[in-house]
Amino acid sequence: MKKRRGSDSVETPVASLIDVVFLLIIFFVVTASVEKDIIDTSIQLARAESVKPEQKKNPLTVIINVRDDGSYNIAKQPMRLQQIYNILYNTMMKYGAEVPILIRADAETEYRAVADLQDTITKVGFYKVRLAALAQ
Amino acid sequence: MGLAKKLGGEDKIEVPMSSMIDVVFLLLIYFIVTYKEEIPEAHLQVTLPAPSSQQAPDIPPTPPLSLEVHPREYRLKGTPMLPDTIKRVLGALAANDPEITVVIKTNVAAPMKNLITILDICNGVNLKNLNVVTLE
Repeated sequence: MKKRRGSDSVETPVASLIDVVFLLIIFFVVTASVEKDIIDTSIQLARAESVKPEQKKNPLTVIINVRDDGSYNIAKQPMRLQQIYNILYNTMMKYGAEVPILIRADAETEYRAVADLQDTITKVGFYKVRLAALAQ
Repeated sequence: MGLAKKLGGEDKIEVPMSSMIDVVFLLLIYFIVTYKEEIPEAHLQVTLPAPSSQQAPDIPPTPPLSLEVHPREYRLKGTPMLPDTIKRVLGALAANDPEITVVIKTNVAAPMKNLITILDICNGVNLKNLNVVTLE
């Protein structure tokens, strides 16, 4: 064994360690997935017991959030009903009437806000909407 | 020279343990920082009325089942009931005819969680033909 004289002179296989670091970096870069959905987490959904959680997500889904104060936003971007109408109209023109629409309303939101939103949705021509709830 | 030292056929390799432990801690911190809890979200499908009328779009041959959602009570066919009672009655009705049209009249002042509860009960008894309208 080498005798140490005051200073550390340990032979470390630094090249191998750097290889491991690069391998890890490449692994995480390859397996990282970009989160496309900006979820408004300030909304506390009401609980539903008998419905199973949604597994597959249709990327075309229009998600409209309604906060407990009755304000609307899409991907945290505040919206007025007229803007939502325009967006839905354009979506209908582009993708047809089969686009799923999801309303994520806070449990304490008054139905009034959701009713107005639903009126806007039906004015565009969509008659089927989904309401989001927290699955147990 | 180097690390490997053969002593009578025995390999003795010096492994830099501190660096390995550093990598382990790095991985641990990475996974802690990037952990995201999955919120199980369920979607309840409802049908909305046409914008001109407040009734269900079609008049079904059998009279629709009328449910009312108010801020502090629920009513089935006009009679105030508790959710568990509604569940039992709907279960019995659904056993006869799962395709029965259910019209859920919702008071504008009712919180969303009440509506979600009723929709949850309907889904639980396999009633899929759900129409949500606003109670004037």
